[in-house]
Amino acid sequence: MKNQQFIIIGLVFAILIGIVAVVVASGDPDGLESSALVVQGQKMLFGDTPEDAEIHEEEEGRFSYESPFPDYTLGGEGGTAGEAAVIALGTIIALILALAIGKMALAKKS
Amino acid sequence: MHIPDPFMPIWQGGIYWIIALIFIILALKWARNELTEDKIPMVAVLSAGIFAIQAFNLPVGFGTSGHLVGGALVAILLGSPYAAVFVLTLVLIIQGIIFGDGGLTTMGANILTMGVIGGFIGYSSYQGLHRATKSVYLSAAIAAWLACFIAALACAVMMWLAGTFPLVPGLAAMGLYHAIIGIVEGAITAGAIYLLLQARPEFSEMVTGASST
Repeated sequence: MKNQQFIIIGLVFAILIGIVAVVVASGDPDGLESSALVVQGQKMLFGDTPEDAEIHEEEEGRFSYESPFPDYTLGGEGGTAGEAAVIALGTIIALILALAIGKMALAKKS
Repeated sequence: MHIPDPFMPIWQGGIYWIIALIFIILALKWARNELTEDKIPMVAVLSAGIFAIQAFNLPVGFGTSGHLVGGALVAILLGSPYAAVFVLTLVLIIQGIIFGDGGLTTMGANILTMGVIGGFIGYSSYQGLHRATKSVYLSAAIAAWLACFIAALACAVMMWLAGTFPLVPGLAAMGLYHAIIGIVEGAITAGAIYLLLQARPEFSEMVTGASST
């Protein structure tokens, strides 16, 4: 498969994964969040996550930052289509950035 | 496994950033020395794919979800753990700055667990397993499981040092959940290697023979 064809097919495949993720991904906390709930006594190690479980976060001496698209959303607007668009945007940025840095590295070599 | 800012004191995040920067510099050196016209598209597609698949949380039981980390996949396909550091750093920067997935002060720690530990454990265990079993896919699946599991244990130790988790319960919870998540990681890694080698068979030499870092 030629380079350009591989990049286009790879990007389309990655975007499709992202769109499927928005539709069917689990809403359960991930491994780190689940572990935090366990050590904070809000969840049993082998049990389900209670609906009202919430991670208590230390704020003093900790950095705080509000990203433009928190948790891959448009900040409560846009619904599922908005989330899919946000993930597609991130996927395209990842591809372009990797291509750009790769080309720069190649240019430095020659 | 993305550590958010509130989970770690800023000064500890700074220490992990300094250590991570050493590996990032080495990864950039790898890029300058090893990247060719044919490898750049693979790096780009892996970056895009890992970004997308890290947003895909699969249910793993016990009220927990998990997603692919991808460090082992990149290191095995491109024949170097520094390739994993390169790709995971790029993905984690985008996730942290634009999408708030993983913190900024904790980004160094996240690069260390997922990129450095994931990449080095994935790569070295794959090399050993492949020599012993001669099976690309079995070796890749086990190496990816190990990479996920050991990265999670390292993350638990970081959380203990940060005062966020007690040591033993933290190791038990992170170990249990990521031992299960690692099975998904192993299966997807083996499947992704199969598909990518179908599309780019020239990388099979890297996967089956080369051991250059």
